Amino acid sequence: MDATKRPTGRKGRLPARAPLANPYVPFQLEDPPMYEPPKGLIRGTMYQGLDLPFMGMVNKRERNTTPKTQLQTLAFVIQELAMYLDTHRDDARALEMYREYQRRYHQCKMEYADTIGPMDHFSPGEGSYQWLDDPWPWEYCANKEA
Amino acid sequence: MFVYEKKLQYPVKIARPNPRLAALIISQYGGPDGELGASLRYLSQRYSMPFDELKGLLTDIGTEELGHLEMIGAIVHQLTRNMKDEQYRDPAFAPYFVDHTAGVYPTAASGFPWSAASMAVKGDPIADLTEDLAAEQKARVTYDNILRLSDDPDVNDVIKFLRAREVVHFQRFGEAIQLLREKLDRKNVYFMNPAMDI
Repeated sequence: MDATKRPTGRKGRLPARAPLANPYVPFQLEDPPMYEPPKGLIRGTMYQGLDLPFMGMVNKRERNTTPKTQLQTLAFVIQELAMYLDTHRDDARALEMYREYQRRYHQCKMEYADTIGPMDHFSPGEGSYQWLDDPWPWEYCANKEA
Repeated sequence: MFVYEKKLQYPVKIARPNPRLAALIISQYGGPDGELGASLRYLSQRYSMPFDELKGLLTDIGTEELGHLEMIGAIVHQLTRNMKDEQYRDPAFAPYFVDHTAGVYPTAASGFPWSAASMAVKGDPIADLTEDLAAEQKARVTYDNILRLSDDPDVNDVIKFLRAREVVHFQRFGEAIQLLREKLDRKNVYFMNPAMDI
């Protein structure tokens, strides 16, 4: 079986005849198997091969879909892909997915700004200065619906 | 520059205040393997990195660690809200309470305040990236230990997320070392310091 098509992508590539006295981590193969975004968020990684939990403790229940968890999910996919692309800049499929999620995030952030409030000082808005409106992200009530 | 986004990377909703547990979690805010040290380590090391992939990766992971610092702050804040008398009098929390009340202060669970001595910036990319591999492992073990100590499902939900991120970062730092090595002298990667000599 082709090593790149392993179902969980837990194996990577090491250099042949590697120089001595160096630290090695196998290179993650291109186009690795990924979770669906809501599952990736709760597992803490989009990559099945990097999901290595402690003593079988895993988050199973998906988050409720709120405008904020939608944004968090889209942002998480972009962030995970960005770090992958930092070391795999020529993976065309990852780049395509990164661009697609950038478009979705931008759209979602604009809708959030229109209906709930600004995500940052650069979101265009109208009316009163909503930036100060509660809740702030670290408060329980900002997260209780998630 | 940095721009604040008014959201956490991952939701933190702790139903039951528990200052005893907050006194342990605070170690990932300001302890030796905590998120403050992680973000400062990577965001400081990046200046002497010689190649684009290394500059980019340290910037991206260092920025994510700032988001984790905020999540740990949120856990500590929510665990110490609406405290009752007997909760702040708890001998496990009272020493923190006397100095910081319900504020969030960067300290280890042992009471040792955050110290730059818990991180390193050596100015040599192989040395710094090897430190980063170790740093991710130490943070991962701290989260393992928190999972052993805590039986609060709301806290553990967030800790499992943060722990998984350490594993991903370890992988990327390992790949970064390989990318670096490919650009160095094939016979002797220690021939010179690529932060200074190329």
